[in-house]
Amino acid sequence: MTKKENQLLKEINTKFKTKGRIQREHRIWVTINEKKLTEICKWLKEKGFEHLSAISVTDWLEQKEYELTYHLWSYDDKILITVKTRINRNKPIIESVTSIWGESAQIHERELHELFGVKFKGNKDLLPLFLENWQGPAPFRKDFDWRDYVREEFYDKKNEREKVYYD
Amino acid sequence: MVKRSEKAKTMRKLIKAIWIFNWFNSCGFAELVPLVGSRWDMERFGMIIVGTPRHADVLFIAGYQTQKSIERAKRVYEQMAEPRVVIALGSCTMTGGMYWDSYNTIKKLDKYLPITMYIPGCPPRPEAVFEACEKIFEHVKELK
Repeated sequence: MTKKENQLLKEINTKFKTKGRIQREHRIWVTINEKKLTEICKWLKEKGFEHLSAISVTDWLEQKEYELTYHLWSYDDKILITVKTRINRNKPIIESVTSIWGESAQIHERELHELFGVKFKGNKDLLPLFLENWQGPAPFRKDFDWRDYVREEFYDKKNEREKVYYD
Repeated sequence: MVKRSEKAKTMRKLIKAIWIFNWFNSCGFAELVPLVGSRWDMERFGMIIVGTPRHADVLFIAGYQTQKSIERAKRVYEQMAEPRVVIALGSCTMTGGMYWDSYNTIKKLDKYLPITMYIPGCPPRPEAVFEACEKIFEHVKELK
């Protein structure tokens, strides 16, 4: 464990009142309230975390929450910070980070908007990315039964040959 | 002397060799590379892959098509000159194959494009592809 990580973690924990921890060498995990997300992101960008590697969503169905994970990399310190925040999965609205990381955040947010239905406030272009003419619900949500959807959309139960798809 | 229709005459003039345009998704191309290679060598039958659908007689479609790529496949088909033949390769194009329960792939290709022939198999054998092309020649020969 190098000094850099300890120092940075201390700074984050005192400034944002979080309980972050050092996962292993070069890796820090921080969980933060959604309201403080843009604040911590802005602060980290100024600290040198200029590369947003990915944004991902985890769907916690039983807890009715989406967990958003932001992976930030610093080229100078060689540290990967994982910032996690939880939002309500029935009303998934969160502040966009495009104002901080620009284009690289834009494409991730556009994808997550399409696949999970997360609305990013402040992102100007949330048009569909992969799916075309898609009328169904956001397909990566855990309560979306794609097999049922496919049976409804593509197959015919009365067709003798397609009966196997309903077994 | 056999009396032939105008269509049969033109077809005989046009179809001497088969020029192919490939529209391959996923593993479709990788599985058909042996066809081009020296072992099966499709060029000995006059089958050549061309760079644009405007030059092609035959459209090869392989692999599963997605909702997005099928729109592009339709545009490729529309650019081809008559007479045109569409050959669908592999089980993915027929039933969706292993992606039968995917929400964004096409299950039955003939709902979207007029398929002349399906070649089953995952992947189809090169010999099966040759047989399909042989059938095109036979069809032209039998035209009256």
